[in-house]
Amino acid sequence: MQPITRFLCISTLAATSSLTLASTADTEARQQWHEAIAGGYQALTVETRELSDAARNYCQAPTEKSRTLVESAWLDAFVAWQRVRFVDFGPIETDNLAWQFQFWPDPKNLVARKAGYLLDNDSTITPSVIRESGVAVQGFPMMEYLLFDQEMNTGNNSLPAPHTCELLTNVALHAATNSQTLTDQWSAFKAHYIENELYRDTTIRAGMAALEILEERRLARPMGLSGNGKRNPYITDAWRSGKSLATVEATVIGLQQLYLPGLTLLLESKEETGLANRIRNQFAEVQDNFPGARMPMTAALEADDQYRTLQGLYVDISQLTSLVNDEAAVAIGVVRGFNSSDGD
Amino acid sequence: MTSMFRPAPLALTITALLTAGCANTPWSAESPSPATKASVVSHYADLAHANYQDALITARALDEATDRLIANPTEANLRAAKDAWLAARVPYQQTEVFRFGNAIVDDWEGQLNAWPLDEGLIDYVKADDYQHELGNGGATANIIANTSVNVGGETLDVTTLTPGLLADLNEIGGSEANVATGYHAVEFLLWGQDLNGFEHGAGERPVTDYAVGAECTNGNCERRGEYLDAVTDLLVSDLDWMVAQWAPGATDNYRAQLTAADANEGVQKMLFGMGSLSLGELAGERMKVALEANSYEDEHDCFSDNTHNSHYYNGKGIQNVYTGTYRRVDGSLVSGPSLSDLVQQTDPELDARLNRQLETSMEALGLMKARAESSSNPMTFDTMIAPGNAEGSRIVNGAIMALVAQTGSIEEAARDLGIEALSPDDAGHAF
Repeated sequence: MQPITRFLCISTLAATSSLTLASTADTEARQQWHEAIAGGYQALTVETRELSDAARNYCQAPTEKSRTLVESAWLDAFVAWQRVRFVDFGPIETDNLAWQFQFWPDPKNLVARKAGYLLDNDSTITPSVIRESGVAVQGFPMMEYLLFDQEMNTGNNSLPAPHTCELLTNVALHAATNSQTLTDQWSAFKAHYIENELYRDTTIRAGMAALEILEERRLARPMGLSGNGKRNPYITDAWRSGKSLATVEATVIGLQQLYLPGLTLLLESKEETGLANRIRNQFAEVQDNFPGARMPMTAALEADDQYRTLQGLYVDISQLTSLVNDEAAVAIGVVRGFNSSDGD
Repeated sequence: MTSMFRPAPLALTITALLTAGCANTPWSAESPSPATKASVVSHYADLAHANYQDALITARALDEATDRLIANPTEANLRAAKDAWLAARVPYQQTEVFRFGNAIVDDWEGQLNAWPLDEGLIDYVKADDYQHELGNGGATANIIANTSVNVGGETLDVTTLTPGLLADLNEIGGSEANVATGYHAVEFLLWGQDLNGFEHGAGERPVTDYAVGAECTNGNCERRGEYLDAVTDLLVSDLDWMVAQWAPGATDNYRAQLTAADANEGVQKMLFGMGSLSLGELAGERMKVALEANSYEDEHDCFSDNTHNSHYYNGKGIQNVYTGTYRRVDGSLVSGPSLSDLVQQTDPELDARLNRQLETSMEALGLMKARAESSSNPMTFDTMIAPGNAEGSRIVNGAIMALVAQTGSIEEAARDLGIEALSPDDAGHAF
């Protein structure tokens, strides 16, 4: 992480929270968030189940059509994940579920290495093999590798090779099972979440961290605006399927639908209606970049006019991040502590 | 693990832990005047200075040992060079706590301690067991075997391997994995690629990789020696520069700047360094990623299998800064006004808790170290993170949990000491 970001991290470390808590608004916000996130998890459960079915159908009867269906089911499920990805607390923390869904970043191409290891080994790939194989095997990036990686698709193990199908269907099943577990546990978590006032700040911080990661790691770094200054599409999400920026859009939509209502409710309870409106408008500004910006990151980094589109998106997201992480956080009195993206 | 690495007996390790524990007596218990933020920051600079001096002393010893190896490539000299490298890591890893928060260190350290590296940039690798960074054009450049290298369209003449040239080659093509310099480059040149995966064992570079004439293995032995010579010289001069930055009595170095600034700023840097290393870097990047993905590619000292010590001394560095103490490589103790003294003045309960948590972390990291260095059936970090290794996973998780717990108290300590937005980067933030 760049020094500037590091200092920003500590800058909020010790700001004191506001003295009087609008506890009714706080409770309402948590109810709002709980319900919204429950909907997001439910959608993820539905989409991953469909993906699991589509993978099984394709492997039973591999046709061009069933292949297209499994690819689009993968994207739908991954988009559903991107929408709830900002939630970094509660049941998603159990057994590193978040990393199980998406091990990222993967600069050493561990996904390919793990796939090679499993596929070159003759033993049957069962659900328990997936459970024991670590987070690089267990989620969307592995399925994306099997479905979209160019080298993979031209090699001996390319789908629908039976062993590769075993891997694909079992990873898809694993993700579907995890989604169902997550939905159930989130529901059971409700009372605790709503009663515990600390979850107000936890939830706000989750959105702040997601925006920070979006701006810095998912845009600025691949664009060469920070880090080593070189453009590099491989450090984004979903570069193999060319869906890096579509996933950025999904994260923004997720934040808008699941996070923003609770946040603006709190701001309005503190008579910060102007700020709440500015944040709403900024979400709309970000969304105006799509579908134009829904292109593969490699294309966006190569051609000048497409890069300009990407820059436009970046600027809008930076402004959104600043409104939420600086202005809204201060208005509500949220303190940002150390988080897992500190360090380098 | 090779026979060059002599595991310390368990009893000795425990003694070392107990001795280290003694260093934690708060300075204020013996001192008449209470610690102030200014005295704490000034002593922090003393700690950094002593710690970098030790890093320099041990790097010089490494430089001399590698010179002997190059001049006379025998098994004994290779073993001595490896021992010198391991000894040099002890103080250096403790300095990493100064990295986060002090931009001067962070901007400099990439040339000394960057990892993980695509070692194919430097020397030969076994192609079918080599996974490099995606999109890195320099991953197989092999500087030792070539007189010119081309990375990402950039062609460089590498006929004469000098410290300056290696510094220019570091992160060539903009990839952080193109590590041409520093401890891990030296480590690779001494140990070679670790081809054992999750199995026990480190890299096994033959000493004949430095042999002259017909005995030379893997080609380019003379170039390899020149590389090792240049890269160790560079390490020494880099550390020399950093020692000067923290030396007392100068008016134009970093220490002068730090101690002249508002003391709150210094305290902020101290706490930020502790918290960032503790959570995001050590617990997260260096342990949790490696464990959850079962990725030995994410092992810190992957060629030498010395990762447990890198982690242990990282943890020690965090404790050093809080307690204001540092045990030098000559055995003497540096101590003075500390953050612990400051927190004790305002919240003794928090101070006691944080001290306890730092001890707990050191015990957890000590267990990792002891297990890796155990004389019977040792388990190194790359084995601990293997799939299905329940004991290894428990040890690594224990250390992660302890570091996470202490980070929570570091945040509290920051609040307790009234650390608010102070950095110039926060201009415009309404705190």
